[in-house]
Amino acid sequence: MAKGESPLKQFEIQPIVDINFLGFDISFTNSALWMTITTAFILIFFTVPFLKAKKTNSVSDLYPTRMQVAAELGFNFINSLLADTVGKEGKKYFPLVFTLFMFILFGNLFGMIPYSFTFTSHIIVTLALAMGVFIFVTVLGFVKHGVKFFSFFVIPGLPVYMLPLLIPIEIISYLSRPISLSVRLFANMLAGHTLLKVFAGFVSALGFFGILPLVFIIALTGLEILIAFLQAYVFAILTCLYINDALHLH
Amino acid sequence: MPQLEQVEFFISQLFWLGVFFVILFSVLTYITLPKIRAFLNQRDDFVKSHISKQDELIKKAESIIENYEAKLTEAKNQASKIINDAKDKALKESEDLIKATEEKIQHEIKQTEERVAKEKDTAISELNDQLKDSATNFLSKVTNIEKGNINL
Repeated sequence: MAKGESPLKQFEIQPIVDINFLGFDISFTNSALWMTITTAFILIFFTVPFLKAKKTNSVSDLYPTRMQVAAELGFNFINSLLADTVGKEGKKYFPLVFTLFMFILFGNLFGMIPYSFTFTSHIIVTLALAMGVFIFVTVLGFVKHGVKFFSFFVIPGLPVYMLPLLIPIEIISYLSRPISLSVRLFANMLAGHTLLKVFAGFVSALGFFGILPLVFIIALTGLEILIAFLQAYVFAILTCLYINDALHLH
Repeated sequence: MPQLEQVEFFISQLFWLGVFFVILFSVLTYITLPKIRAFLNQRDDFVKSHISKQDELIKKAESIIENYEAKLTEAKNQASKIINDAKDKALKESEDLIKATEEKIQHEIKQTEERVAKEKDTAISELNDQLKDSATNFLSKVTNIEKGNINL
């Protein structure tokens, strides 16, 4: 955090291993490194506690360990989220929502570690995730309803003369879903980390009075951890709602 | 802003995002989540089986209580019956005793009365005899005087 360093420098991508594949630059960067850490952590966190689970009927084997309780908490959280928004049909899409939520959540949270890198603060990553969701949901709608899926843009119970005005609005709002979904996450991460860095710069600049921005940073870090969770939650719940729309149209 | 300036890393980011997301999704879908679900289901089954067992036991306990209460009322009825019987018996016995005593007393009174009457009769007849004797005596004395051979 040297003086004069741009608060945006933390978002810079630095290649760790240069890889060139068929003319494409797919270097292993700090972004990829933190994706690796996130993926590995999620897999370890949720898989390892259940590896030793054996089939017995004695009560003591059914007491969950601490790690199992923690993993169950995440499992049940997404389970109830999906059950509340989509209902019973939503069970099929549980792995997708779970993966999205955990990947974004731990990506955000690991981004809070000093000197780490937040891969969710890059618009290209969030846009890819959001586009993935958008394409999946659209395909799902067409698979489930065929051409009838277009009736999604017609709000039922509306006078006919309003349709020429409202159908374009509905289509635009539908097409802007991936943009709003990706920009929301990206902008939250970008703004939070930039703000932290700016105030961190004040700490060294103000000398003794730097204690004031320091206190502010501590509070802001707490808020950022909340936002890290909240944005992952928003992304997951919106995915659930889009799946629900695709399954039930209106 | 590096997010929009470092365009050269877009493909790299997309590539690694795809790689890790697919790895994460596949492993979670085929290994981790079924394991968690199986674990949770096992516990749910265990709890459910115990709940049904508990229901059975509650029913059993209820039937036992019913049985016990039925037996208890039966015993109570029997006890009250025995008490009533005993009361009746005692009452009857005492009444019999009173009756018998009264009869005995009546009988004795009657006997006494009879005896008294008999004694009275004998006394009267004795008195009559004595009177007769003394009258005869007197008369014989009177007649002797008239004859002149009185030897008083």
